[in-house]
Order: sequence, then C-alpha cells, then structure tokens
Amino acid sequence: MRFAVTTYEERPVATARIATHPIHPMLVPIPIVCFIGALITDITYAVSAEMMWANFSAWLLLAGLIFGVLAAIAGLIDVLGNRRVRAQWPVWPHLIGNLAVLVLAFFNVLIHTRDAWTSVVPTGLILSIVTVLILPVTGWLGWEMVYRRGVGVAR
Amino acid sequence: MRTHRYWLRAGLVCASLLLLAGCDDGSGDPRAQIGPNPKLPEIRQFLLPPIHIARVVGWQKGETPKVAQGLKIEPLATGLQHPRSLYTLPNGDVLVVESKAPKAAAIKRPKEIVMGYVESWATSGGSTGESNRITLLRDTNGDGIPDTPSVFLDHLNSPFGVALVGNDLYVANTDAIVRYPYKEGDTKITAPGETLTPLPGGPIDHHWTKSLVASPDGNLLYVGVGSNSNITENGMEAEHNRAAILEVDRATGRFRIFASGLRNPNGLSFEPQSHALWTVVNERDEIGPDLVPDYMTSVKDGAFYGWPYSYFGHHLDPRVQPQRPDLVDKAIVPDYALSSHVAPLGLAFYTGINLPEQYRGGAFVGEHGSWNRQVLNGYKVVFVPFANGKPNGMAQDVVTGFLNDNDQARGRPVGLAVDKAGGLLIADDVGNTVWRVTSAGSGTSPAARL
Repeated sequence: MRFAVTTYEERPVATARIATHPIHPMLVPIPIVCFIGALITDITYAVSAEMMWANFSAWLLLAGLIFGVLAAIAGLIDVLGNRRVRAQWPVWPHLIGNLAVLVLAFFNVLIHTRDAWTSVVPTGLILSIVTVLILPVTGWLGWEMVYRRGVGVAR
Repeated sequence: MRTHRYWLRAGLVCASLLLLAGCDDGSGDPRAQIGPNPKLPEIRQFLLPPIHIARVVGWQKGETPKVAQGLKIEPLATGLQHPRSLYTLPNGDVLVVESKAPKAAAIKRPKEIVMGYVESWATSGGSTGESNRITLLRDTNGDGIPDTPSVFLDHLNSPFGVALVGNDLYVANTDAIVRYPYKEGDTKITAPGETLTPLPGGPIDHHWTKSLVASPDGNLLYVGVGSNSNITENGMEAEHNRAAILEVDRATGRFRIFASGLRNPNGLSFEPQSHALWTVVNERDEIGPDLVPDYMTSVKDGAFYGWPYSYFGHHLDPRVQPQRPDLVDKAIVPDYALSSHVAPLGLAFYTGINLPEQYRGGAFVGEHGSWNRQVLNGYKVVFVPFANGKPNGMAQDVVTGFLNDNDQARGRPVGLAVDKAGGLLIADDVGNTVWRVTSAGSGTSPAARL
C-alpha cells in the first residue's frame, strides 16, 4: 500500500480550534447522526402512522439543523482563515454539498411543522432521503481532507 | 401621509411574518363562503402557513363597537378578566363566565413553542388577574346599568358553559360538569359543587371550552367537547370522546356521544321554532386561507360531520392516516357556512322583542376572528336570518368595529346571550367588557337620562 505522506509543515492548520483541536470535526457528527435518525423516524412514521415518530423527526431535524449551522460556521472560518485550506480541491464540493444538506434540512424542518400525515409523507420523507444520500459523499470528502491531506491535524 | 405610514407598517409586518410565504395569501372573497353552498378551493399546504393575528390595543375611553342601523350599543360591564361566555338567569341577573385556558400540556414538538408564542400576542388584553370565576351582574333599578359586579362563583377550572334547570345550576368546567344549588335571587354560591360527570380535560386540552345547554324538558344536558388537536397531530388516542357533542343524563351523569366529527362545537342552543339543537363549529386550519369554512348546523342524533377525515361532506383531508372511508361515506354536510377561520364561539337565537322585527327568530353569531389568513376575517357579530327553523338568507354584520382602521384588535367577541329585557349581550374577552346591544329607539339611554 502507498500512503500520501505530508510533513507537519505542509499540514493546513484549522483556524477555528480550541487548544489545537479543530472545532469543525467536533460538531460534524451531531447533524449527521440527527439527519440519519430523522430518516429512520420518518420511515417508521410512514409505516406506522404513529405520531410519536413524526415528533421525533421534528426534534431531530431541528437539532441537526442548529448543530449543522454551527459546524458550517466553524468550517467556513477554517476555509476563510487559511489559504492552504482553500487550496485543497475537496473543500469546495464538501462545502457546496453540505450547504445543500442544510438548505434541504431547513425546508424539511418547515415541512415537519405541518400537522399529521403530510408533515412527513411524501415531501418530508423525500427530503430526508436526499439529505442522507448527500452525507456519505460530503463525509468522504471531509475525511479526504483530514486523513489524507492532514487539514487540522497537528502532528 | 397617514395612509403612507400605514402601508409602510403593513409592508413591514408582512415582510417580517411572511418572509417565505409571501404577503398575498391568494384568498378569495370571504362572502363567497357564507351560506349552505360555500365555494371550496383546492387544498394548499405551506412551508409556513399564513399567520396574521390582530395585535391587541384595547378600547380607548369612549370607544365602542359599531352597530347596524336601528341599534345602539353600550358597555354593560368593563374591567372583567377574560369574559368568555354569558348566561341570563330567570330573574334577569346575568352571569359572566371569566375563564382562562388551562395549563398547557408538555410540549411534543418544536412547533408548539412557536405557536404558543404566536398565541400570546392575541389572546389576552394585557395581564389578566383573577379569572376562572363567574361574575354576577344585577340591574336592580332596571336602568340598563348594572350594580357593582360581584363574584358569584370562584375557583373554577377553565369554565365556559352554564345551564340552570330548576334549582340546579350546572357549570361546565373544562374537565367536568359540576352541579351547584341555586335559588332565585342568589348573588353568591358558597356550597361546594357536586360533579355530575367528568369530561375530557387534560393533560392535553387543546380545545378546552365546554359549551353547555339543557334540553327543553330539562332531563338531558348537551355539552360540546372540542378536538384535542388541529387535525389529529396529537394522536387519535387523544381524541377519545372529543370533537363531539355529548348527551348527559341529568339524573345519573351517564353520557353518550350524541353527534361526532364536530371539530370544535360551541354555542349549543335550541332553535326556537323547530326545537332542534344547533351549534357553531370551528373547522380545521393550515390548508389555505379559504379552507375550511367554519359553520353553524343543526345537530342530528347519531350524525357524523366529518372531522378529522373529511370536511363539508366528503372532501378528504390528506393529513389524516389511516383514513376511514366508512365514516366519510356517512359524513353530513353542515347547514350553513360562516366563512373560513372566522372562529365562531357564540350563538344566540333571538327570542326577545326589544330589537327590531327583522332580528326576531334569527341567530346571532359571535366570531372571535381569524389567525390563519392574511386578510382578517370575523372579529364581529353577525346575524343569520331564519325562517321555518332554517337559515334563510345572507349573514349580516350587526356588531363590528372590534378592529380599528389599522387592523388592530380593540376587542374580540366570544359568547352571546339575550338578557331578560331583550338586549343582546356580547362577551369581549380581549376588551374585557360585556357589551349590550338594544334597539336605538328603545328606553332611555343612560347617557340621555343623566
């Protein structure tokens, strides 16, 4: 196996960090888990028509959106704060893809404020599916930047 | 200049409230939805439903609602605490039911936080103190001005309906019908009440007003129990014995569902000519500014009126799953639409003789006013003429001016009653006033007498 080797000096530093720990990767799992969770509870509601699951979806989507926006702010600070982060090509599709996720989640939150069945079926469920389909792609690009290009990696 | 500022402000309100939904909600003529055959548009679902509630400004000194020609209006009592319904006792004393919504249940989803905030703009005119009580108004010398109001019955649980049968006074709290002993002329009840029957109350108690009327023979009580949601979003199990009119045996307290599918029935009254039970009903929200028209209808024994599965007969509501085609098949079309989102909460058939001839035998309806459409609808008392026990003609505005020229709420009408002298009484829960409408020519006005 061959590894892309970068030296410490070449690794782009994350601007938004706490004691050298970059903030963006700390926040990112929260929206990912929430949006996947909302897809699962949406499906469960669509199958059962039991309102409790639609309520769970509404909370998960809202929490995912809030933490997604916070993660996006930290990520944008990293992008804007360091020319060498901007020089990594995966940062752009990662940014655009996740922006699309947040826009979809925003509309999905609104759809889920409807009452009963049509708060999920069909529009909410479709938005949840599309959101979750984007996540592995943008996630892959994010991992590419951290694990292969060492963005935010100290040593 | 004035209109300029008005449009600027209107624009700002629209911009802030409706960033996404757009200012024009595309609503049609509200009058096309009055009568037995309302025009029903296609269902629309929204990212943000249109929300517009008249901001509360209250009545300035000397301001009153406007009345139709031939009528006059005066405040009968002011400074009340959220008066919601009225009842005239046989000796002419008037009971004012002052009532506040019960404590909200635990929040189930984020939307309820926002809706709770939106409602807080509209419901109360300033801070209300002691409420959940009944105040007595007595006019000892018959001059149209009551003596000092006195507390008749206190420490109730979100009361609404009142009915007197013989010496038994029934109060419909939000969670029970309670019986109290009453003698003609009593000004205060101190005896503890006796529960006739519990009613569907909390912990979720979405539509909490329990309208009450006794059958003409006094053996039965009819109580309106509103749904526990807009459209089943709290689950069907929360709707047990709700969205219905219950018939309660006065002797035993046992009840049965008299009619169902009535989302929020209020103003239960017997029509004087046909002796049929009538109600006004608040229909569902959030499927468009012109859906669904609220209505008044005669109520048939065992009938089903659609909620939640369908509206105005067989128009299916896609928000309800699983559907019940068996129930929709037998859903009855209500008698008379009152236009969408007007929120009728009061109904009184006019059996007095004080008001001009044209009002005799017809029905007054108190329309609390809309929140779910851009162009405000309701916020007034209308009159529906009746002939042979059925509505006969277009509803007419009788008492308006609850909104000022800037669409701000000076008051909002709720429950209605006819007093012993034939005046029409209106409970105004935002203006905290009881208004009295009489014939312009009748008697001496208190002001003229001074």
